[in-house]
Amino acid sequence: MSVDVEAYYRRYGPQVLRRCRFLLREEEQAVDAMHDVFVQLLRYQAALKDAGPSSLLHQIATRVCLNRLRGAKRRPEDRDDELVLKIAASGDTEARTAARGLLDRLFGRVPASSRDIAVLHLVDGMTLEETAREVGLSVSGVRKRLRALSAVLQELEAA
Amino acid sequence: MTSPHRTPDWLLERIALGELPPDELAAARDRLSREPDGPARLAALEADSRATLEALPPDRVAREVKARFARADSPAAPHAEASPSRPSWRFLPALVPVLAAATLVVLVRPGASSQEQEARDPWSATGTGGTPGVLEPTRSKGLQPRLDVHRQVGTRTEHLTDGAPAQAGDVVQLSYTAAGHAQGVILSVDGRGTVTSHQPALGDTSASLERSGTHLLPRAYELDDAPGFERFFLITSDTPFELEGVMAAARVLAASPEARTAPLTLPTGLGQTSFLLEKPSP
Repeated sequence: MSVDVEAYYRRYGPQVLRRCRFLLREEEQAVDAMHDVFVQLLRYQAALKDAGPSSLLHQIATRVCLNRLRGAKRRPEDRDDELVLKIAASGDTEARTAARGLLDRLFGRVPASSRDIAVLHLVDGMTLEETAREVGLSVSGVRKRLRALSAVLQELEAA
Repeated sequence: MTSPHRTPDWLLERIALGELPPDELAAARDRLSREPDGPARLAALEADSRATLEALPPDRVAREVKARFARADSPAAPHAEASPSRPSWRFLPALVPVLAAATLVVLVRPGASSQEQEARDPWSATGTGGTPGVLEPTRSKGLQPRLDVHRQVGTRTEHLTDGAPAQAGDVVQLSYTAAGHAQGVILSVDGRGTVTSHQPALGDTSASLERSGTHLLPRAYELDDAPGFERFFLITSDTPFELEGVMAAARVLAASPEARTAPLTLPTGLGQTSFLLEKPSP
């Protein structure tokens, strides 16, 4: 399908920007990331399925921001922020076959990565069932992915 | 009566957009309405949306997004920041001459006003003279090295964009623009961790590149059924360099989780650009 960027932004842009603000905590970076989210949407427009744009953009924004946060040196401002930073900085401990990109799943090819799942479940507060539905996996699949980030979780529990 | 838990932000967004199944949407709205700050949160979110659209008008954002999208597909784009998508595939050993043959028609366009345009869409050029395989006779000042991938679709060819989906059986042809650099290597990394040098196919040192114009590799390839992604790299230099260091860097990258997006770790003096094809995964 073809994406009308302006129309998509008009409807979903504010949501995307809020998501980027929440994860990046810096307005300028958030606006920059928001633009990149729509670039990603354009890049994959040919394969885009016209279903759940809100969910789609929420996850694209999550992925774009996590990628930006990876390696970021800034200090966490609160517990959620700390968690996001740890998840973003964590290596994806699963094999590449299990660490497919968000966009791959969104376009019907592969599951979302563990980092995205962890943010949805641990930071966004989605239940396992909601997370599973969001990323198109079974609940057991989500549990399995979360185990892949167990080192991060253990570290958080110990903190 | 209050809800036992606060509606999370992501659900609030869905409520505002009305993007939930009807029964879920009704239930979520009802629950939100019964939360002490539910209506106020929804109102604040809607006000924030209006403020965002005023501060960042849709036409302006759309222009910026399209410009970034265009730059990502331009020769100067730093493809190291490729999308978080994925690909993996291997070249079948079989030579597929049909695409290359189709392109070896003279593609020089004397007097073209925009050489960069030729580089971006070399197969659209037609002509009757010149060197076979040379799509662009001279380079534009400031033109950056780039890789291009074309796919045969029926009797025509399709210029692929970075990150384009591909599948087993696709016949693809690579071309490069050295932009003044005399030496280079074209290699690929796939989702199985396989690293393949395409130019030079043999030898221990970099290949001589045509310093100007866009040039086809001598053969086209049929993609096999390797899952995930295939990522091509063009590494350029002004002087010959040993292949081993580059191949070692490619092997390290191929074994890493960032193989689809990260740049190669190369010695100073070597430039790189990459091109990603995505393939279905099992």
